[in-house]
Amino acid sequence: MSNSRRWPIWPLLLAVPVVCAGALLAGAAGLPDWHTPLGRAVLELRLHRILTGLVVGAGLAGAGVVMQALLRNPLAEPYVLGVSSGAGLGAALAVFFGWSALHLWAVPVAAFVTGIVTLTIVYFLAARGGGASIYGLLLSGIIVSAVLSNLLMLIVSLAPTEGMHSILWWILGNLQLSAQPLLLTGGALVLGALIILTMLGAQLNALTLGREAAHHLGVRTGLMIAGCLALATLLAATAVALAGLIGFIGLIVPHAARAWVGPDHRKLPGVAAIIGGLFLVVCDTVARTIVAPQEIPIGVVTALVGGPFFLALLLRRRKGGWIE
Amino acid sequence: MSMAVICRNVSAGYRQQPVLDDISLTIQAGQMVALLGPNGAGKSTLLRVLTGLQPLTGGEVQLFGRDLRQLRTTERAKLVAVVPQEVTTPMAFTVAELVALGRSVPRDRWATLAAADRQAVEQALAYTDTLELRDRYYSELSGGEKQRAIIAMALAQEPQLLLLDEPTSHLDINHRLEVLQLLERLNRERGLTVVMTSHDLNLAAEFFPQLALLDHGRIVATGAPAEVLHEELLEEVYHCKLAVRRDATGILVILPSRTGTAPTGKRVHVICGGGSGVEVLRRLCLAGWQVSCGALNQGDTDAQTALALGVKTALEKPFSPLSTGVLATAGQLAQAADVIVVCEVPFGSGNVKNLDLARQAGKPVLLNTRQVAARDFTPQREVQALIQSLIERGATPWEHVSDLLVELEKVR
Repeated sequence: MSNSRRWPIWPLLLAVPVVCAGALLAGAAGLPDWHTPLGRAVLELRLHRILTGLVVGAGLAGAGVVMQALLRNPLAEPYVLGVSSGAGLGAALAVFFGWSALHLWAVPVAAFVTGIVTLTIVYFLAARGGGASIYGLLLSGIIVSAVLSNLLMLIVSLAPTEGMHSILWWILGNLQLSAQPLLLTGGALVLGALIILTMLGAQLNALTLGREAAHHLGVRTGLMIAGCLALATLLAATAVALAGLIGFIGLIVPHAARAWVGPDHRKLPGVAAIIGGLFLVVCDTVARTIVAPQEIPIGVVTALVGGPFFLALLLRRRKGGWIE
Repeated sequence: MSMAVICRNVSAGYRQQPVLDDISLTIQAGQMVALLGPNGAGKSTLLRVLTGLQPLTGGEVQLFGRDLRQLRTTERAKLVAVVPQEVTTPMAFTVAELVALGRSVPRDRWATLAAADRQAVEQALAYTDTLELRDRYYSELSGGEKQRAIIAMALAQEPQLLLLDEPTSHLDINHRLEVLQLLERLNRERGLTVVMTSHDLNLAAEFFPQLALLDHGRIVATGAPAEVLHEELLEEVYHCKLAVRRDATGILVILPSRTGTAPTGKRVHVICGGGSGVEVLRRLCLAGWQVSCGALNQGDTDAQTALALGVKTALEKPFSPLSTGVLATAGQLAQAADVIVVCEVPFGSGNVKNLDLARQAGKPVLLNTRQVAARDFTPQREVQALIQSLIERGATPWEHVSDLLVELEKVR
């Protein structure tokens, strides 16, 4: 048996400009005229969405890779420990109390902060009396998520109609949300976290053997688990702050990435980031063109495209780099 | 000689109920030591202490002259590698990728998987004979191959001390041998210090020049196998009857004896010889029967088995025809029994009188009827007729031991 199941990375890199160009040209208005101000505005808008898609997709996929490795579970994803419900609650609070009208950054910052606070709470709940175990993390994550999602529901039910609409759009995910400086900040955070994760890749590999085995191999497991969780949370919270709650990417893209390059975490964060970015750009293009001029929520597209894709992957599980 | 491990008054576990209780142990560099003891004796905890997984509640541990608490995690990983009972990973690592995990922590902070790392991985693969497995998925390997791959991963760390926690407990006998021979070779050729916990007293006795026996968190004996593996000591530690023997090649053999079957209170007399009764005697003893046997010649395989099992036997001198005295003793034993079993024994003029015994005792008889003609060595060929007449008098025929046990259940 040879290593032929592992494919090189260059086709993915090559696909980035191709997909982005395609997404730039596709749209309800067709190919806009570069020479008119309106055309330029449309192109700029599309470019912004493409860049947001790349950053958000990369963040969610990278976070998914880390979560699946740390929790040693194929069903783990960035939201499993409560980042999404925490961020969702933060965003809803910002809308509910009218902060969103005061400052452009209010909703994303509120989402980012509450997302990170939630994961910190989950971690310390799980780590009570020693290091956080996988089951402790999952359990406290599920409990905290459940409480927060219901608080979110409470706020949605209390919110006035127009507020509810914007909360709903945010929960469904939308690449149009972010402002340009926000996108740059988010992009820098995502890039930085991915680079650090890549450097920690060998130790993440060791952690997939379990905490004790990793300890024997010389990994400072407590520090690594806490650090990687923090980086994954940063990635997920950034993505959520930029584009709301987009599901499925953080779950399926890591599987696709492992199918492409194998289970080596020195390559996985980068590869997953590229695949995640491309996938989200494609999904967004579909979302805004398929029933144009109407736009459907991108979360719906990722789920509808992602579901069958995930099934297909599961059927060839071994190649997915995950063995039960 | 430098010391690989020094434990001074080490305690670990809970204050009220220490798992390790004031253990002191030194292991010289280059030694092979097996840690033995029953479940819960503290063997695994001692290994966990040596790798820094289990915090001490008292005492100190030195690895190669350095205090364990002062050792950084990365430094420790260069000194000590661990092979656990089982390693699982959800990831589809190939063997080569898995072994490379032994170099997870870079030796040189700024180098990635450098030439030295790659060389260590290749050497580890070669040593453990896993080179041709390198592109196979770890999770698809057999138990023995997996264990070799894990040992290779540990070797890639280039440790000076290898700790193994019951690495052979999931393996069948030939893979156990394979793993132990590998350890022996690593110890001999690389001077690697090997410490292994084991439940297999026999393999430990054969492969490890030094043993340490633990019980209730204490070390109760250390030394060469012959010094540690005493019947009384082992019986006390393991709470069971066992026998320590030397086999023909001088290897220590520890045999546990099964106990605990409720005695049936019934007696059975077995007529056997030439090895035909070995399994029958053992199975009857295990099933809780009070067994007697004979008449037999001393030195007969069955006589030896009967002796080992503590079965009351009517014994004749070696290579002598059965005398009337011995036959009378056998007759008394048969009289005292509730049932008589006749095994697939060859009959000649020397022992055919045993069959008369079965006829005269007036007890139910279970009679082996397999290939009677082939084992009839009497001058007049009388065995066939004797057996026929026994059956006509109501004896139950049987052919295999399993049938015999079923028939005996009916008597019981």
